[in-house]
Amino acid sequence: MNQRDLELLSSYLDGQLKPSDSARLESRLSTDPDLRSVLNDLRSARGLLRQLPLRKAPRNFTLTPKMVGKNPPLPRAYPAFRFVTALATLLFFFTVGLNIFGTQLAAESPNFGYGGGGAPEISAAEAPAATEAPAATEAPALAPPAAQSAPLPTTTLSAEDAARNAAETQVEKFGVTEAPGLQSQAPAQDAQPVPAEASRPVFVPAIWQVALVGVALLSALVMLFMRQVSINRWRRK
Amino acid sequence: MRETSGKIISMDEQTLIHDAQAGNLDAFNTLILHYQDSVYNTALRILGDDDLAADATQEAFISAFKSISTFRGGSFKAWLMRTVTNACYDELRRQKRRPTTPLEPDTDDGDEMDSPRWLADPNMTPDQKAEADELEHALQHCLNDLPVDFKSVVVMADIQGMDYTEVAVAVRVPLGTIKSRLARARLRLRECLQGFEELLPASFRLEEGSSV
Repeated sequence: MNQRDLELLSSYLDGQLKPSDSARLESRLSTDPDLRSVLNDLRSARGLLRQLPLRKAPRNFTLTPKMVGKNPPLPRAYPAFRFVTALATLLFFFTVGLNIFGTQLAAESPNFGYGGGGAPEISAAEAPAATEAPAATEAPALAPPAAQSAPLPTTTLSAEDAARNAAETQVEKFGVTEAPGLQSQAPAQDAQPVPAEASRPVFVPAIWQVALVGVALLSALVMLFMRQVSINRWRRK
Repeated sequence: MRETSGKIISMDEQTLIHDAQAGNLDAFNTLILHYQDSVYNTALRILGDDDLAADATQEAFISAFKSISTFRGGSFKAWLMRTVTNACYDELRRQKRRPTTPLEPDTDDGDEMDSPRWLADPNMTPDQKAEADELEHALQHCLNDLPVDFKSVVVMADIQGMDYTEVAVAVRVPLGTIKSRLARARLRLRECLQGFEELLPASFRLEEGSSV
C-alpha cells in the first residue's frame, strides 16, 4: 500500500474526494481486495474513535479576573481624582520653585521686575539711593536707624507733596498736562526707602501652597480608599 | 465526519467574541461554558491523563482570553483547538523534562486502579462498563503511541468531528499534510488495535486475511 493510495482511501472515507477521483477509486476497489481491506481498516479505526464517549469536563474552566491578570475595576471618578492629585502636586512644586528662584533672581538682578510687580525689589535694591533725595537724607538724621521705617511715610509724603506741588505749579505756569507722568513717578519714589527684610518678595502666598498640599493629600487619600474598596469587592468575587 | 456544534458561528457567538475582544470576561466565560467539554476532551485524548488535561484546558482558556484580539474570524472552535493543542504540546515538552506519570491513576495504596475514574460511566451495567472501559483504555493506549502531530489531527478529525479545513487551521499546516497525517494515524491506530482484538466489537474486528 503506497502513501498516495492510503491518503485517497482516507479522504474517500470522509467524502473529501472529487467525484471523478471518487469514481476512479471505487472502480479500483471493486477489483482490488487489498485496497478494500485497507479501506475497511481505516473505517474501523475511525468508527472506534468515534465511539469514544465525549467526557464531561470535570469542572468549569471559567476564568476569574485574577487568573487573567486583570486589575480590579475602579470607579469612574478615579481618573478625575488622579488628575487632581497630579495637578495639585505639580502646582505645589511650581509655586515652591517660583518662590525660591524668583527671590534669587530678584536679588541678583536689580532691574528684575521693572516691567510689572517689581516695585518692592527696586525699593530694596535702590534703598541706598534714597539718601540722595533731600527729604530722605533728613529722615535718618531725625530718627535712629532702628526706627528708620517710622519716619519714612513722612519723607515719602513730603517728597510726594513736593512733586505734586511742583507739577501743579508747572501746570498752572505752562498749562502743560504732564501731571500724570509726574505723579506716576511719585509712587516709585515713595517705595524706595522700604527696608530689604520687609520687602522680601513672595510670589505665591503660603496659604495657597498649604491649600495645594491639602488638596493633593485629600485627593490621594480618596484614591487610596477607592482602590481599597474595589480590591476588597473584587476579592470577594 | 461528525456534526460539530462549534462549526456554526451564530450571531450570539459573534457578539460574545466581540465583547470578549473588548475585555469582557463574562462574555468569554460564556464561550468557555459552551466549548469546555470539547477542549477538555481534546486535551484528554492528546495527553491521556485527566489531571494534565484539566490543567492544559485551563491554560488554553487563559491563553485564549489573553490573545483573543488575534482572532480574525472563521471557526472559533478551530482557533480554540489551536490554543489547546499548543497547551498540550507545552505539557508534553514539560513531561519530557520530568518523570512520566502513569496513564492509570493510583489508589491511595499506590496501586494502579483497574478501572480509572476517567473511564467510569454510571449508566452502564458492570459488564458493559468493564468492556467499554477496556476498549477505551485500549484506544487511549494506541493514541498515546502515536506521534503528537498525528494524534492532534486524528483527535480533532475523528473524535471532535472537525472538518479538514478546521483541523488545518487548528494545527497550522497545509490541507495536504492533514490528509496525509490523518490517513497514517488511522492506519497506525488500526494496527495497534489488532493487539486488542478480543476487546473490539464484532463489527470492528479485522477481516480474516486483511493485509495492510
